[in-house]
Amino acid sequence: MSRCGRTQQLEAVATGEAPVALATELRAHAQHCALCRHELNWLESETAMFRQRAGRDEVAHLWAGVASRSGLEAPRRWPRALVAMAAAAALLVLVGRVESPVPSLAVAGTSEAMESDALMSPTLFFEAGAPCSKLPLGVGFQCSQPVPASFLASR
Amino acid sequence: MTAVLQLLKRTQPITPETPDEALVRRAQAGESAAFKALFERHVVAVRRFLRDLLRQSDLADDATQETFARAHAQLVKLTDHDRFKPWLLGIARNVAFEARRVRQHDVLEEEDDVPDAVIPSPNPESVLLDAELEKHFTEALSVLSANRRAALLMRLDHGLAYEEIAAALGWSLATVKNEIHRARLKLRAHLLPHLTGERP
Repeated sequence: MSRCGRTQQLEAVATGEAPVALATELRAHAQHCALCRHELNWLESETAMFRQRAGRDEVAHLWAGVASRSGLEAPRRWPRALVAMAAAAALLVLVGRVESPVPSLAVAGTSEAMESDALMSPTLFFEAGAPCSKLPLGVGFQCSQPVPASFLASR
Repeated sequence: MTAVLQLLKRTQPITPETPDEALVRRAQAGESAAFKALFERHVVAVRRFLRDLLRQSDLADDATQETFARAHAQLVKLTDHDRFKPWLLGIARNVAFEARRVRQHDVLEEEDDVPDAVIPSPNPESVLLDAELEKHFTEALSVLSANRRAALLMRLDHGLAYEEIAAALGWSLATVKNEIHRARLKLRAHLLPHLTGERP
């Protein structure tokens, strides 16, 4: 270290922390003081080495670990059950469209409830002209012509 | 009214010019984007500091994540909002020391055989840290005890003031100065042959 007693000031010059006026004064002093010049050379060499070494690292991947440990940004994933349900729903819609246009259904008025109430609920019926053969099994329905419950039970 | 002011502060964009102090306050108020900005600002330094202490990249990666996780958990305790970096490096040093306990081959204490003679100085303009010199530089750092290395790195690599190092390490100011002085002399003695082209 400088035996001139200015090590800390010289250090501030080397790191750029010293005010310009002080830096100029100390550099001028170091021109004539071998000890300070020697010290300043070392300090500036060390600073240069540390600076050259800095900034070479790749660290972007570390945030994920910090976030998970701190509960800051939980990974945004859909729950598997929800994904499965959505996929199943999409598949049903797609299959339904491909197979046939399903005739529109309407809920029957309670006054027109058929005997099939005992088998299925709710009770539905098709618009006029819709073929009964297209009706899905297991769903309450009613054609324009009432279908007896015994017929449905036989299916 | 205070809540409105806090909301307004939160909506202010975070830029590279936003000081650490403001980011710390916003992070303390629960703004995760502010903490992430602090992370992005300091992660390179923390990771390098930990790699220098632990001398193993994968350990340094894990310790870096642990350091920031602890910082996040303890952030409410930080009252000197403008002293985030020294505080963070203090946490990093503790994390490194904990990780080091499981490693037996590290230098815990070194012999104080620091050279007393004036070591010839290099020309700072010709110092080029190529791969070979960096290797010697890393070796020279590893010769130092972990505590002394931490103090030297905080000063030379991370630009902390002596007072900040004393606070981060829990040392007296005199101890910090003495440790850094001795660390420097050892570093220089180790590096000199490689800087001047001589070989030991």
